Parts: sequence; structure tokens; C-alpha cells
Amino acid sequence: MPQPKDDLILDRLIHEPGRLAIMTVLSSVQAADFVFLQRTTGLTKGNLSSHLTKLEEAGLVTIEKRFVLKKPNTNVALTPEGMRRVTDHWHQLERLKTLSETLPDPDPA
Amino acid sequence: MERKQLEAAAASNHYLRGLLAIPFGMVLIASGLGNMEWGPFRELWTVPVAIVLAGGLYLLGVRYYNDHYGRVTLRTGRMRNIPTLATIGAVAMMIGGPILVQALDLPLNGFGIAWATVALGFYAVTVGLRLHHVVIWGAVLVASLVPLWGDPSTSDTPNIGLLIIGAAAIVTGLLDHRLLVRTFGSPADVDLEDSHAAT
Repeated sequence: MPQPKDDLILDRLIHEPGRLAIMTVLSSVQAADFVFLQRTTGLTKGNLSSHLTKLEEAGLVTIEKRFVLKKPNTNVALTPEGMRRVTDHWHQLERLKTLSETLPDPDPA
Repeated sequence: MERKQLEAAAASNHYLRGLLAIPFGMVLIASGLGNMEWGPFRELWTVPVAIVLAGGLYLLGVRYYNDHYGRVTLRTGRMRNIPTLATIGAVAMMIGGPILVQALDLPLNGFGIAWATVALGFYAVTVGLRLHHVVIWGAVLVASLVPLWGDPSTSDTPNIGLLIIGAAAIVTGLLDHRLLVRTFGSPADVDLEDSHAAT
């Protein structure tokens, strides 16, 4: 089996669909709270919370816990590293898509 | 999963908060009726009261959306500047459009033309024009361009324009809100408690 080229390997932490959705939404805004992310990505609160913890541990997002109008509120923003990683990841996906379209069909009918 | 779809979802969640347009439409209608001295609006105090009432409703709307659809800080730059640019454009067109129409002595509704153009431009840049935007604001634009309007200095043309624009803003807002609910779900159908705050 041919080995993939090193420069085409995907970032496995970000490639998970839930985390990719969170990172992509955050890349289009400066910061968003937990409810906005839940609405926009369609994730359950348990899934979203778990993904955010992983992303924070990896240094890709910053999480600020605060109170707004006496209610707990979690505000999330991408770190510069997170922005770079998600931009690179989408670039990599585009490259793979382009590559797959240029490869010859292995089993022409 | 498409990158553009996800980025568009963030913009839609912010810009389709249509109930916020209802107080704005109310102010325009109250101003039009006040200028026309129609019914209770012939009393001078009614328009300021309507503005205060609309301000209160707007703040309630902001709180409703923040609680049920979340808070977002837009990125500095193009997206964040859109409301500011739209406001500047709206003010410039609201003043300049009618003046131009009057100066050229055209039988058009300058207010309607100005507001419809700004509204269509705003929706096109923020969330992309949807069918109801085109139908409602296109109709306002076409109606304003029909050369049947009287001289704005001697007729109720500007005030009728305000009534039409106010009604269009309210109907657009209701349909935007309906689209928001259909896209992101109603307040009741998901458990939205901020569970991460406790972890």
C-alpha cells in the first residue's frame, strides 16, 4: 500500500467533524459563547463541552468563564495557533480534493 | 462539511435576528403617522414615547437572542463594520435621496428608493439575499420608482414612504426570525444550558 506524502497528512485533532465545525465557526468570528457555538454547529452540549476541553488542552482555543447578567457564560476564541491550524487544515483538504480530481480512474469501466 | 456553509452559519445566526427590526419599523411608522398628524399621533408626546417603547422592546429582543441563540463578537474588519457602514449609508441615502429627487423634480419616492437600496445591499453582503428580501424590498423599490408620487414638499410622499418602509422592515424581520428558527432550531427544541461554565 503506498504511503501518503508527509505534506498531505491531515491534522487528526482538527479533522474530527465536530471540532472542525467549532474551529471553522470560530475562525469567522472574534469570539463566541457556548450557546452560539451549540446553535451554529448543531452539537449537543455534552459533545461541545468535551470538544472544547480537548481544543483548549491543545492550545487551539481560549476559554473564558464569566457571568453575564448573573448567568454563567463561557466565551470561546481561537488562539493564533488555532487560527493557523484550521486555515492549514482547510488548505490541506482543498489540496487533497484537487489531487483526487486529477488522479486517473483506477478501474475504468 | 463545507467551510463556506459553516462560516455562513455564523453570519446567519447573527444577522437573521429579525425581531430586532420590529422596534425599528415601529419608530418609522410612528414618525410617519406623527408627521401626518394621524389620530393619537397628532399629540407631540406620542412619537418620543413610541421611540422609548421601541428602545425597550429592542433591548428585550437582544436579551432573548443572546439567551437562546448565543453571544458573538464579530471579527474586526469587514463583517464587523457592516452595520456601521449600513447605518452611514442609510443616513446618507435617507437625506441625499429625497433631496436629489426633489431637486430634479422627479415624481418618485426618494425615501423608498433610498431605504430599499440600502436594505437590499445590507442583506446581500451579510446573509445573502433570500426570496423574502428580494420580494419585500424589491416591491418597495419598484413602488417608489413608479412616477405617481407627488411633490415631497407639499404632499405626504415622505411620510407614506416611512409607513411603507416601517411595514417592510417589520415583515422582513418576522420572516428573518422564522428563517433563523428553521435553520438553528426553536428555543424549546434543544437543551441550551451553558454546561461548560460549570466544568
